[in-house]
Amino acid sequence: MSVEVEVNENDLAEMVEQVWMSYLDPEGLSPLIPTYDENQPSEVHSSVSITGSWTGHVVYGCSTAAARRAAAAFLAMELDEVSPEDLSDVLGELANIVGGNVKAMLPPGCFLSLPQVMLAPEATTKYPNTERISGVYGLWDGEPVNVSMWQSRNDTKEEDA
Amino acid sequence: MKILIADDSRVMRQIVVRTLRQAGLGGHDIIEADNGRTGFDAVVEHRPELVLSDWNMPEMSGIDMLRALRAAGLDVPLAFVTSEGSPEMVARAEQAGAMFVITKPFTPESFRAVLEPVLA
Repeated sequence: MSVEVEVNENDLAEMVEQVWMSYLDPEGLSPLIPTYDENQPSEVHSSVSITGSWTGHVVYGCSTAAARRAAAAFLAMELDEVSPEDLSDVLGELANIVGGNVKAMLPPGCFLSLPQVMLAPEATTKYPNTERISGVYGLWDGEPVNVSMWQSRNDTKEEDA
Repeated sequence: MKILIADDSRVMRQIVVRTLRQAGLGGHDIIEADNGRTGFDAVVEHRPELVLSDWNMPEMSGIDMLRALRAAGLDVPLAFVTSEGSPEMVARAEQAGAMFVITKPFTPESFRAVLEPVLA
């Protein structure tokens, strides 16, 4: 089964902005500045999978410094107080929040996985038979942050048919 | 009031506690659980007056915990705090007996709007 993708880059950008407003930059001092560069590097990443009427993945990638900063903001602590567990937990939660909001925009009948966290660049994880269909790429205080959606090719082939 | 917060993310449990405080709804007795199964056990043991639960958790999901609670005759008020706020999920939550669904990301304002009447 396949559905047309109903989540575009503007939707994704709005979800990311809400995460910034709620947790990472509630005072509006350090927004994510768009670079539109889907090839900007990352050092760590997290992802959730969505299966059902739409099948694919939502991936959150960033530098270690940006992940540490996110954890410090989430936990209201200093950067040097962030533990490796904090960093992983926050990375997973970021993918979960964006992925859950993506799923909420898809037709009923989708399942959201638990998040996976990899303390390695996004390029180290492959999503077989998928293609990147959307993404938000930016700098947060000079550090790269990437949020991307990868759709199963089985879905896109049916759409093309 | 005794409140159980069930979420597999320790960070998110802390954020829920902090957001309650920022919303002017702090000062409650907080119990924590990291999945639906431990959440169920915590309800049986501690008899909280409110449960704030994530939906998507390992071992036992929030919705399965809610169904297990109701099946066991435990009618503690339960609200979901989840990233999955689709109409389909809200309908499933309400059907199972949840009070309401708070969608992540949330703010102190959104917490206050739905929880103030319950916690006041």
